[in-house]
Amino acid sequence: MSLRVLLVEDDRELRDTLRGALVVEGYEVLTAASLSEGLAITIHARRASAAAEDLGVDLVLLDLGLPDGDGETLLAALRRRHPIPVLVISARQAEGRKIRLLDAGADDYLVKPFAIGELLARMRVALRHRGTTVNPAHTQYRRDAVLVDLAAQRVLRGGVPVHLTPTEFNLLARLVRSAGQVVTHRQLLADVWGADFVEHTHYLRLYMGQLRAKLEADPAEPVLLLTEPGVGYRLAEPDE
Amino acid sequence: MSLAALESRDTRPLAQAWPGIVAWVAGWIALFAADGRIDLANQAMLLVLACAVASPWLPEWASLATNAAAVLAFNWAFVPPRGTFTIDLREHALLLAAMLVVNAIVTALMSALRRQAALARRHAGYAEQLRAWGDTLRDTSDARAQVGALHEALRELGGGSAAVLALEDAMPADNDERAVLTVGDVHGDRGAALWHCLRQGQPIGPGTGRYEDLEDLYLPLRGRGACLGAAVIPEASGLRATDLRAHAQALCDALGLALQRAAARRDEQRSREQAQAQGVRNALLAAISHDYRTPLATIMGAASSLDEQAERLSVEQRRRLAHTIVEETALLGRMTDNTLQLARLDAPGVSLTCDWESAEEIVGTALRHARRPDDTARRVKARLEPDLPLLWCDALLVGQLLDNLVDNALKYSPPQSPIEIDVRRKDACVVLAVRDQGPGVAPAWRERVFEVFQRGAEPMSDAVAAPALASARPGAGVGLAVCRAIARAHGGELRLLPRPHGGCSFEFELPLRPVPAASAEAPGAS
Repeated sequence: MSLRVLLVEDDRELRDTLRGALVVEGYEVLTAASLSEGLAITIHARRASAAAEDLGVDLVLLDLGLPDGDGETLLAALRRRHPIPVLVISARQAEGRKIRLLDAGADDYLVKPFAIGELLARMRVALRHRGTTVNPAHTQYRRDAVLVDLAAQRVLRGGVPVHLTPTEFNLLARLVRSAGQVVTHRQLLADVWGADFVEHTHYLRLYMGQLRAKLEADPAEPVLLLTEPGVGYRLAEPDE
Repeated sequence: MSLAALESRDTRPLAQAWPGIVAWVAGWIALFAADGRIDLANQAMLLVLACAVASPWLPEWASLATNAAAVLAFNWAFVPPRGTFTIDLREHALLLAAMLVVNAIVTALMSALRRQAALARRHAGYAEQLRAWGDTLRDTSDARAQVGALHEALRELGGGSAAVLALEDAMPADNDERAVLTVGDVHGDRGAALWHCLRQGQPIGPGTGRYEDLEDLYLPLRGRGACLGAAVIPEASGLRATDLRAHAQALCDALGLALQRAAARRDEQRSREQAQAQGVRNALLAAISHDYRTPLATIMGAASSLDEQAERLSVEQRRRLAHTIVEETALLGRMTDNTLQLARLDAPGVSLTCDWESAEEIVGTALRHARRPDDTARRVKARLEPDLPLLWCDALLVGQLLDNLVDNALKYSPPQSPIEIDVRRKDACVVLAVRDQGPGVAPAWRERVFEVFQRGAEPMSDAVAAPALASARPGAGVGLAVCRAIARAHGGELRLLPRPHGGCSFEFELPLRPVPAASAEAPGAS
């Protein structure tokens, strides 16, 4: 059975183009032009054979500039029933709202205009992470010469063990659990340092710098620990 | 001398009349002394003299009364038969009557003279006050101070309960207190009457023929063909009323004219600014639409070719056209970001989303953006001084600044020549520099490249650099202008410096802030 994508986008041209591209990739696409329509679809799209908690949609692409309001209501309504992946599509000016949605649990974001390749890559990562809140998908991460084994609490680079402080390791582990996806500053600070530290971005800069120095070939031009300016960090997708 | 003191001169109290009383007493002493030595007619002349000397010092009514009493007493004391009021000779009756009439005439003349002198003094005082008022208005340009000064002048003129209300700008639709400056008590009925007076542009109150039953006098602050405020003074009684009203009105009108001049200056300034803003906006729009046309034309060409000739194109040709569309769209996207950012930073009260950022990360992101699949030579290189402090800045904006500078350097320096992002500390700043080995920029243009519409299209004095630059900077306008706007929004500056061996160095100086204490390990991290 093909995967079902709900595309909530009010611009008809973009909606049609994206639908065409996704159908070519083998996805089944439901489209909605507004939040209310999107909500209605998630309520009625349940597949006949599916279990009660199945929403009938595997992934949601949510545009932020919708006529009938903020995406937060839709995100909250979806998340109440099922940890369905949500990708936020935003315009450049909607920084604040985008980050709010990511902090509220949206999986990743794309800034308009974006290439289809980028969209497909983000969708693949998001689908791979389905259900990770219960069951981490990645306990091992490998890319280039770097290997992270969360279970064994071990980090190797080129086969040589790398010594990390406990905080460095926790930070890296948090990124590994969301490998390929953006993790906001707030989420990282809350998960690694604690809820009281969500404003202490300078901690994060310091420890990311240390991690890069220990793991990257050229810390000035990182390929693993990527910066998403103003949003957070993204650990590059692991090697297949 | 205060105006209030001037006003009191023609109603002189009896206490100041002592020289008149002395004159009368002296006159009577002389009369008794001369009794028997001169005849009655000459005695009568002494009495007339005493009256003439005394009358300037006495109030009119007192003068007339004393005069009548003196004639009666003279009759009793000196006119035979003495000790009675009877007159036996007709000549004596004539003498007494003549004395009475002459004394009355003298008194009347004296008091008329006195009234005129007082009037002249008052008018001189008014003229002096008007002149001083004109000076005050000329010397203060602040409307609030002017209104306060009028209030002061009116209080001096009419007493404590004066008040002034003046429009700050256009006449509001309702009696909105936020649209006016007020001094003194303008509440309740007084406020309503002031607003009415302001809207009518005519004086109201006692003596004006309008709303005669009001307690106070309301005067408009009149300009030319408009009314800019209103003032209230307590009603004045008696002869002074008309005079005082005219004078107070003159003071009010002077302020009205001054306010009107200020309003006209304000309007002129505003419309000049508006015209200027309009001009800038138009130029910006023209520049932007010009810049957009080239990528749009390319996209149109490629897309329409795919649309109309698809079946005759080879797979490779189709792929190349599609790639062109993607590239040009990305360019349009960057241009749109720049334009929007410029508009945002130009708006008053722009707020940045600053946070502690690492220079390494910002530069790393710029490098990632600069790497293109076909950039095999890896032209862009970064060099960061070790142990740089964290920067307090808006990462997106500083990233955009670096992206633009790198784009600019890639576009205007020879292919394969290296481009360098260099970050180092300098005093209380961190300098982020982007350096190329291109043709450089002529000295005359080093400031102008940051202006939105300067793109090297105009003829330049530097003939050597001109051709290279003229062709070399299309579309740089908005990009560099937004870079400088970003630098300045951070309290820093962006400069273009020449390099000793050719090429440009764009240097962004970002002021440093003290970084909060470095963190220990996370709690519970062990």
